[in-house]
Amino acid sequence: MKTSRRDLIAGTGALLAASTLAAPALLGQARPRVVVVGGGPGGATAAKYLARDSQNAISVTLVEENETYQTCFHSNLYIGGFKRYDEIVHRYDRLASAYGIALVRSRATQIDRDRKEVVLTDGGRLPYDRLVLSPGIDLNYDSVPGWSQAAEELMPHGWKPGRQTQLIREKLDAVPDGGTIVMIAPPNPYRCPPGPYERASMFAHVLKRTGRDKARIIILDPKDSFSKQGLFMPDWERRYGAMIEWLGPKVHDGITSVDPKTGTVVTGFETYENCAFVNVIPAQMAGAIARDAGLAPAGGYCTIDPATMKSVVDPTIVVLGDACHAGDMPKSAFSANSQAKVAAMILRGELVGAQTFPARYLNTCWSLIDTDDAIKVGGRYEPRDGRISAVETFISQPGESAETRKQTQAENMAWYDAICADMFT
Amino acid sequence: MRVALLCVTVLLIHATPLRAAGDIGLGQYLAAECVSCHQPSGPRDADIPPIVGWPEDQFVAVLSAFGRKQRDGQVMQAVAARLSREEMAALAAYFGALTPQP
Repeated sequence: MKTSRRDLIAGTGALLAASTLAAPALLGQARPRVVVVGGGPGGATAAKYLARDSQNAISVTLVEENETYQTCFHSNLYIGGFKRYDEIVHRYDRLASAYGIALVRSRATQIDRDRKEVVLTDGGRLPYDRLVLSPGIDLNYDSVPGWSQAAEELMPHGWKPGRQTQLIREKLDAVPDGGTIVMIAPPNPYRCPPGPYERASMFAHVLKRTGRDKARIIILDPKDSFSKQGLFMPDWERRYGAMIEWLGPKVHDGITSVDPKTGTVVTGFETYENCAFVNVIPAQMAGAIARDAGLAPAGGYCTIDPATMKSVVDPTIVVLGDACHAGDMPKSAFSANSQAKVAAMILRGELVGAQTFPARYLNTCWSLIDTDDAIKVGGRYEPRDGRISAVETFISQPGESAETRKQTQAENMAWYDAICADMFT
Repeated sequence: MRVALLCVTVLLIHATPLRAAGDIGLGQYLAAECVSCHQPSGPRDADIPPIVGWPEDQFVAVLSAFGRKQRDGQVMQAVAARLSREEMAALAAYFGALTPQP
């Protein structure tokens, strides 16, 4: 057998990792309890991998208030008419029946860190040995002057799944030919970096397909640049002509205010009146339950240990997905799914003495621009210098062949089916 | 010489079971990453093909080719570039032992 130096180092690493498991803190206790808050990509994946891979040696409880999960990822494909709504809806039943996960259909409102209990909306309490927190984002309703939670029907965000997604589609369908759509894009960091731009592509696709190609889409962006910009912009021009106009802060000079009743958007540069549809995607932050527990001391998002996904504030809690600062990893379903697997492996090591390995993460974000025209960006990540750092990255190239773009979209569709199966079945 | 040989033997006896156990556990952990995209069922020419039930040497050969960028595919090139031979072998053993689902 030929063994390279790299193999030896890797082997030694695994051996060292195994030998540090000598005395897991909770070995010997009846059945260690993990409570998972949030049934999205992070929480569902963590619950499944903890229950399945421990052969039920760990008691896993998943707290989720909704009966189904409606994916934010691929919701743009529903808006663009590439998927039916029921194709982005998933059930939790199999997590219970196949893996013995206890489903608690309730809203977790608070974490009592001193007593290590999750408090439910009805006052019930769930004690935990370890807590997996995957609450997703909260919207900052104060980040756009004139907009508020009360205005989210008139000027929908569509940045949380469900009714808001459907509202975006309804508003789009009602845009007359020649009408103006204004999208206010969010500041960094936010859920799904290429999402607003894929959504604008889907708007244009639907308008063009339905003969409304005199409508225009104006994106007012607080950022000087955005994800995959060098790929989106030439394709917008090539496929949709002048329909999509992107304005950075140096051009629009800031959002002064919006008026949801009249459909008005005022910027330092121009006033857009009688907009057919205004899509406000506001600034974002970790879900309140994580912030209220003091896990995001700097404000927005929770800081985690890149090797374990544990909160740096409380090592009995891991924070997954959009609610955490994950270094170079974007806020995506793929990222949350990848982080959940590392966290599950680490927690099994602590709670039942399972073997542990060095953390590694993966992400890819696909975006659809038009029929058979998709692009992607992604990377591989490892803990390095105290943060999750990209160690390999890739991105689609401008001017790729139509065949490559078509294949990228086929991959996007196949990935969705696989990752949803990985999370929910 | 005899002492040296004895040392090697002891090392081998000691190392082999640990190493084998590590491979299985390592394969299972690494495989979790693959199934974010690869399903255990479907036709071989699917847009993202199933990777279970392959001969182990073929599995390693394909991964190695991605790692050397001799096979096209940005995601798989990024994945394979960070896998050691031992890790590829662990994955090949793990997925190779699974039966393709209809």
